[in-house]
Amino acid sequence: MSGGNWLERHALGLAAALTAGALVVMLYFPIGVVFANAAFVEGVPTLEPVRDVLTDPFYVGSLAAVFENPLAIGSHIGALADWIGSSSISPTVVTPLPGIDLPLPWLSIQTPGFRGGLFGFTAYQATLSTVASVALALPAAAILANYEFRGRRTIRSLTILPFVLPGIMVAVGFYAMFGQAGTLNSLLGLVGLGPVPFMQFSPLVIVILAHAFYNAPLIARITVAAWESIDTRTVDTARSLGASRRRAFRDVVVPQLLPAVLTGALLTFVFTFMTFPIVLALGGLELATVEVWIYDRMRQLEYAEAATLALLETVLSLALTYVYLRYESAQTGLARVDARTAREPLFPDVRTALSPRRLAIGCYGVIALVVFVGPMASLVVGSVTDASGFTLGHFSFLLERQLDGAAFQTRPFPAIRNSLLFGVGTLALAVPMGVVVSVLTARAGWSGTIVETLAMVPLAVSGVVVGIGLLQGLVFGIELPYGWQFEVTGPVAIVVAHAVAAYPFVTRNVSPLLSNLDPTVVESARALGASRIRALLDIELPLIASGIVAGAAFAFAISIGEFSSTVILAGGTDAYTMPVALERYLGRRSGPAIAMGTILLFVTASSFVVIDRVGGRFER
Amino acid sequence: MGAVTAGLAGCLTRENGGNGDGDGDGDGQLEIASYTSFVEGNFEDAPSPAEWLTEAFEDEYPDTELKWTVPENGINRYVRDAKQGNEIGPDVYLGLNVDDLVRIDETFGGQLFDPIDRDELENVDRVRDDIDFGDPDDRVIPYDTGYISLVYDESAVETPKTLDQLLESEYESEFVVQNAQRSDPGRAFLLWTIDMYGEDGYLEYWEDLQANDTLIGDSWTDTYYGPYDNEERSVIVSYSTDQVFYAGGDLTRHQVAFLDGKGYENHEGMAVFADSGNAELAHEFMDFALTGEAQAAIAEKNVQFPAVADEHVDLGEDFYDHALEPDESITFTYDELEGNLSGWVDEWGRTIAQ
Amino acid sequence: MTELRLESVSKRYGANEDGTAALESVDLRVRDGEFFTLVGPSGCGKTTTLRTIAGFEEPTTGTVSFDGEPASGTKPENRDVGVVFQNYALFSHMTVAENIGYGLQFLESEGDPSSDRRIAELLELVDLEGMGDREPDQLSGGQQQRVALARALAPEPSVLLLDEPMSALDARLRESLRRQLKRIQERLEITTVYVTHDQEEALAVSDRVAVMNDGAVEQVGPPETVYRDPASRFVAEFVGDNNVFEARVLESSAEETRVEIGDRTFRVPALEGERNLERSGERGLERSGERGLKQSGKRGPEQSGDRGRPSVADRMTICIRPEHLSRTASTNRFPVTVETSEFLGPTVRVHGRWNGIPVVLALEEVPTEELTVGFAPEDARLVERSP
Repeated sequence: MSGGNWLERHALGLAAALTAGALVVMLYFPIGVVFANAAFVEGVPTLEPVRDVLTDPFYVGSLAAVFENPLAIGSHIGALADWIGSSSISPTVVTPLPGIDLPLPWLSIQTPGFRGGLFGFTAYQATLSTVASVALALPAAAILANYEFRGRRTIRSLTILPFVLPGIMVAVGFYAMFGQAGTLNSLLGLVGLGPVPFMQFSPLVIVILAHAFYNAPLIARITVAAWESIDTRTVDTARSLGASRRRAFRDVVVPQLLPAVLTGALLTFVFTFMTFPIVLALGGLELATVEVWIYDRMRQLEYAEAATLALLETVLSLALTYVYLRYESAQTGLARVDARTAREPLFPDVRTALSPRRLAIGCYGVIALVVFVGPMASLVVGSVTDASGFTLGHFSFLLERQLDGAAFQTRPFPAIRNSLLFGVGTLALAVPMGVVVSVLTARAGWSGTIVETLAMVPLAVSGVVVGIGLLQGLVFGIELPYGWQFEVTGPVAIVVAHAVAAYPFVTRNVSPLLSNLDPTVVESARALGASRIRALLDIELPLIASGIVAGAAFAFAISIGEFSSTVILAGGTDAYTMPVALERYLGRRSGPAIAMGTILLFVTASSFVVIDRVGGRFER
Repeated sequence: MGAVTAGLAGCLTRENGGNGDGDGDGDGQLEIASYTSFVEGNFEDAPSPAEWLTEAFEDEYPDTELKWTVPENGINRYVRDAKQGNEIGPDVYLGLNVDDLVRIDETFGGQLFDPIDRDELENVDRVRDDIDFGDPDDRVIPYDTGYISLVYDESAVETPKTLDQLLESEYESEFVVQNAQRSDPGRAFLLWTIDMYGEDGYLEYWEDLQANDTLIGDSWTDTYYGPYDNEERSVIVSYSTDQVFYAGGDLTRHQVAFLDGKGYENHEGMAVFADSGNAELAHEFMDFALTGEAQAAIAEKNVQFPAVADEHVDLGEDFYDHALEPDESITFTYDELEGNLSGWVDEWGRTIAQ
Repeated sequence: MTELRLESVSKRYGANEDGTAALESVDLRVRDGEFFTLVGPSGCGKTTTLRTIAGFEEPTTGTVSFDGEPASGTKPENRDVGVVFQNYALFSHMTVAENIGYGLQFLESEGDPSSDRRIAELLELVDLEGMGDREPDQLSGGQQQRVALARALAPEPSVLLLDEPMSALDARLRESLRRQLKRIQERLEITTVYVTHDQEEALAVSDRVAVMNDGAVEQVGPPETVYRDPASRFVAEFVGDNNVFEARVLESSAEETRVEIGDRTFRVPALEGERNLERSGERGLERSGERGLKQSGKRGPEQSGDRGRPSVADRMTICIRPEHLSRTASTNRFPVTVETSEFLGPTVRVHGRWNGIPVVLALEEVPTEELTVGFAPEDARLVERSP
């Protein structure tokens, strides 16, 4: 038996080397260039920038005193005790919606004299956003995984649509949905209610809701993939052993879902910790996060301070990721990835439709419609209306721009074409990269966790850091010895940059499934004569197709939505994408940009359906 | 080489390989960096200022070509490049205001722009006397000016007349302003409050604004497309030309209020990059931008006011029906901002964010 | 036609040389066409041995060779082995026929139109004619395992490796399947290494058995020898039911040995070097290697050949199979207090105690609470000497 040619035998190693190369060039080098500003001042290593940030109460609140004098442990403990003693938590009743007398219980927490600083507030809002996203995601995942109804697959494909929307479109969508003249109030007006000033209830709640709009679908998508891979026979076994439906769920389903839910929660926390445009647009500067200050400091060219803030942000995110990955690797593989799930029909008949469970599903459906569909639908409506009512003017502007625009202007069609090309290219590159990292880290124990944590760096680094790093390091070229110069720009560079940003999603979707896969299946293939790479392609990948399809959809979404490296690497060329075009159409009238946003939504939605259908052929 | 570079992810090139710089000096191409609305336009049915200028200039100067580019993060991009010693692509930057100039000088010690050679500009004397950047190095030629004012919904609130009034209950939860860190009108409004209450009093005024539930949003587009367009807020910091975009329609939500009869005046100017090899053509372009015809076109298409005195531009009376001018204007000069601007904005940001 | 050989194979996990040892200097020779079984409790190293042969693990030291060709560094796909796992490890996204045909594509004659015929042959071999289009999920456990066997045999490997292939099946199915396996193995005359923790299964199917414990081989031999003449206390206790007694040697002659167990004196066979060697059923490299190394800690190599008569007061372990303890035996009698008895059909297995030592008997009927049993001196086996 022959073991294939040289290429086949070394395919995995080559892929790993290429992945590492892409990461070094498009990620580690650029961010290293920027982070160096936090550790070197005029070439001399120093802790000064870090100390400055850590002792500034504006950034770290009450902890500044601790960093100021880290060794005075006794007095810090005393201060902590005083503070705990003077804090109180009391249940109260609030009426959150002005104009509607709806009392709700609320835990009011009084913590005198404690300041969280920018970091404290950022972590606080990220925690609340994560909780809200998980709460909104789980019912969706449960319904999509357990019930059969028309359009289930399509809805599942479209879940991550919010992910590609630029922040400004989400903000506009939210105002168009929940504003006093918004869609929701118009609907309430039809039944004689309102208008309710939803947006004025609390800016923080609106921001958290917007974060949930972005991230709950992500958690739902990951959780559905895991839920669908639970072997229903294990549930049946538990029930045959006398467990109630509830008990079987708790003992059998929950432990298998937990890693997926926590993965989603982790990603949500990391993203919302680095949230930027959406907080400012919906909550205003009062709810500023660390990222807002990183942008401001970068704009002031205060690189040392900006890099320090960004570095601390990244370190916190990675620490959390590491803790999570340790937890994940401690979980034993329970799921059988080749399971078939039996789904019940959602509304088989009228009697069932009126059962409490179905009614609860209906209620959730209404909430999902309002929170997720509402803002996007309001955007679409906004693209075909102006002050005088229905109009196609915004779209005809885009058409005219396409046909008659000057060479230096932004035209919609190249933007759509570029977005799709980059999206497909990213998918084609990020999926192998993500899978290779998964293959190398799954079952590699402690060192695997470290590598996988490092592999998550693209998600844990502020976008502006990567952007500035690319500009400083690559776009203008790096001087090499003997007069050579290495520079990186153009479409291929954009695709590589997108793939670097996107592959962690593939890894996160694939790794849990891969490590749950029975290793003897691969060994059987090897013993039958398959090389490692053939076993991966023939056996492992088809068995974890659901995770790969989910990862591919995420990769595509990341590419479509990516803004900062795209605009930098595109430079003056015509390599702009839909979000870049949208940004350029932001003028004194909102119509053209919203029309472009609508096109972005439709193009992306159709792509997701296609990805899911094509990918579905490989799923069983 | 350029085409090859564009297609490759990484490209190894060797310097001194002959004519490596494709953007040859002295040829007929002038590259102008500007902001999106100047290039992409403000109206769905009319060319953008850049389109108009390109066509008119290329007609006037055959064998020349204007190329426009929109950098991400505006002028910051070139400050960063200059600081790193990178070559700067464009020849002209169009869209500078005085705070940009101050910020450039605060963050970058070197020379990003060359002083203007006024002898090369025939039309430079047409510029209104009161439009002056006060730049000690004389690097900028103004091409238009505008006024930051309030825009409000007359059906929802009384006409606001003073800054103090914005603290009253009439305007509680009604006012929205932009982030002075990142937005020109936002920064203009901040400077206005500094002008009014002084360095020692402006932060207190802003705390009172916050107490009156003022939304301090991000960019102009964020605040206008979002809370203002959707009637969540009824008073916004915007431009005094707001009605131009809604002429012929319902103007209830597009009323312009000049507090104390004033507006914050913001001049926009253009400058020539120090490393441009095309300074001569750049000056020809700038001179062209000051002709009566170009001034009228820029004013109409960029929806601002001309930089030249009235007798040098013919704008038709109906332009002023909707483009409103305050009786008085406030503006900070280069001298007043120098050494203060970033401190004021930083203090303000820290006050708001806590 | 392949002979498989393991020489001084050790496997350690962990960063350094003194990491946990999974295999400790294992020497084995599996003859061409032989059905060879590795048996032992879980964690004894039998599966590691099998995985080392397959190439899934590389030995830390020592070599595995096929027909004298060392296989070090040869990847599993190039080793010409077929492997069947306990959990079948079928490719659930492929049909039965695709599973069986998977290995054929890697043969030299790729795309050979005869592969369909080969799949049909194999389906017939494992009694699954016409099931080629089924999906693995649609088959019973026994059928799935037969597909796994057919799949492993398809590329005509020279060595077949089976890792606990029956343990997921119920007892009855297990028996019929192992008869079928044995039949197929004999027909194909394929060198087979079979791993099981079930000593009964090991004795039933194998040409020869290697009993493993703690990463080392305790004894290698045909099933009867291993059963009748266990080479160590471990083997005596692991293979079949046995009664094991610690004895003190009182007197040793050419005819017999007299030992003391508890407060009684027993007559057991004489101790002779030759007999010891013969009893262990193996000669040559395998035999000495296994025992010598296993006991190297307890007894120096210079002593290993010293199998002469024990001096008085030497301690040793003797064992007697339950079926050799009878109520009618006239010699070596002792009383037993019955604790439990299990009715097994032909016999009743009785657990009891004598002097606190557990005793197991195979009787023909359920006994009374107290009884006296004895054994013939030649039925006792001396398995271990403790100085």
